[in-house]
Amino acid sequence: MNKVSKWTYVPLAVFGILFIAPFLIMLCGSFLPMKVPSGNPFLWITEEKFSLSNFLYIVVNAKFMKWIINSLIITIIPVFSQMFFAAVLGYIFAKKEFPFKEVIFWIMMAVIMLPSQLLIIPRYIMFSDFGWINTYMPLIVPEIWGILGVFFVRQYMQTLPKDLEEAAHMDGANDFTVFFKIMLPMSKPVIATVGTFAFISNWNDLLTPLIFTTSEDMFPVTVGLASLLTKEGNFGVEMAGSVLSFIPTFIIFLFFQRYFVKGIALSGLK
Amino acid sequence: MSRAFRMKKHWNKHAMIYIFLVPILVHFAIFQLFPILFSLYITFTDWPIIGDPQFIGLKNWIYFLSDEIAWKAIWNTILFSLYYIVPTMALGLCLALLINTGKKGTGFFKGIFFLPVVTSFVVISGIWAWLFKGTESGFINSFLGLFGIEPQLFLSDSLQAMMVLAGLSVFKVCGSTMIYYYAGLQSVPDEYYEAAKIDGASKWNIFWKITFPLLMPIHFYVAIITTIGSFQIFDSAFLLTSGGPNFSTTTIVYYLYQEGFTSLRLGYASVLAYILFFIVFGISLIQKKVLGKEVNYK
Repeated sequence: MNKVSKWTYVPLAVFGILFIAPFLIMLCGSFLPMKVPSGNPFLWITEEKFSLSNFLYIVVNAKFMKWIINSLIITIIPVFSQMFFAAVLGYIFAKKEFPFKEVIFWIMMAVIMLPSQLLIIPRYIMFSDFGWINTYMPLIVPEIWGILGVFFVRQYMQTLPKDLEEAAHMDGANDFTVFFKIMLPMSKPVIATVGTFAFISNWNDLLTPLIFTTSEDMFPVTVGLASLLTKEGNFGVEMAGSVLSFIPTFIIFLFFQRYFVKGIALSGLK
Repeated sequence: MSRAFRMKKHWNKHAMIYIFLVPILVHFAIFQLFPILFSLYITFTDWPIIGDPQFIGLKNWIYFLSDEIAWKAIWNTILFSLYYIVPTMALGLCLALLINTGKKGTGFFKGIFFLPVVTSFVVISGIWAWLFKGTESGFINSFLGLFGIEPQLFLSDSLQAMMVLAGLSVFKVCGSTMIYYYAGLQSVPDEYYEAAKIDGASKWNIFWKITFPLLMPIHFYVAIITTIGSFQIFDSAFLLTSGGPNFSTTTIVYYLYQEGFTSLRLGYASVLAYILFFIVFGISLIQKKVLGKEVNYK
């Protein structure tokens, strides 16, 4: 399939426009100071004045900055702890020997295959008892590690040659030295993949924070934006909120796209 | 060897397991294993969020059998899958074929097609709500107007609403389907194509006789994950239609959410969670049986 005519660009461009258009509409809409926009976006350019008033409005009136901070807290902590635990548990499951190793690992894998909705109600009851509703705890504590990340790292480390660690052990290095000095540096790409996945899934999660946060001050961006969508009814404000909550995703996407794509291709299991 | 020495040796060898694995196992037991078992118990109780649970035996399960909305929710979810699975797979495959041509700039397009995958449902739903507004001022309606087509109701029409939701999901997810197919296409050996070309096969034939069958394991895998994903649909039904109009977009998970957190019936909501589990489990079994044979095709 080496020789492909340049006509390939026609469908590519058509699909490209279809896929990018909603994002462009969002961006344009965010600068429009009006409640109900005209259905024809071409009129936006000619008839409407662009301004920053929507962004000012949500930063000042809606608690948007607070929501961004909440989202960052419940995203950044799990991202780093998931990367760390994926690395160290991946190493343990790939290289260490202990009783029931395989059984433990595959029970964990089997449990994540269950639909996560099974967990919502029992966790709600548990976290109410713990007094965790409207705190960061239910959004951080269950997320501090994930078996899928462990699986990625385990798969990867199993392919690393044994000679390196054996040589290090001969020189008197203990597991910690082997892990931090050899395995961890060699696994950087797969650990970056785990982090990228964790960022996107925690930043974008809607259902979990919807249930565990009820006060506006505790909302992450997804829930806050959803509340804007249902009660504001102001297109420009909604789009400005969407743009602000999209920016972090987009930055991560730009810089870590390669890891993300790798992770999707890797995840032969979920 | 002294006992202390043996213990020290044991510690050196297993320190990492004690320090990292043991706490994680405890965490796993508390936040995964226990809740799963606990939720089975909850199905046998009447548990309003505030107040004490009451053991009511199989009542929630029996109620489910006669609950018309629950069955409608199951049917709606099946309908959603029908609108969603094949388009997602077909579009994903098309996009993969396009970016697999290796032409200049395909990497850029790959990025664009993948962008919705990393974007939250909330952001995309906000745009979608406006695109598919059921009035003349809606974007799609004003576009259709150019061709003299009557304005459609879209999200407020019980037949169309689910199709719009499915369309949103196709847009959101097909980028990741594309990546699976792209990985599959790259692993097809070039010799197959070259041999076919020498035999004078047309491009159309090469695709249907070689590429498509060779992708069978990918088709199988993508079919499973999109089906399972489709039964867990919640975000767009919550954001765009709130399950309406007239329960036409009430999916299983949306109904579970409603029963649990609006009607405050945790026991019954847990039954719905188990029904979802049975369905998802059943689908993977069936797909393994039906499609599993063809995986060996290669």
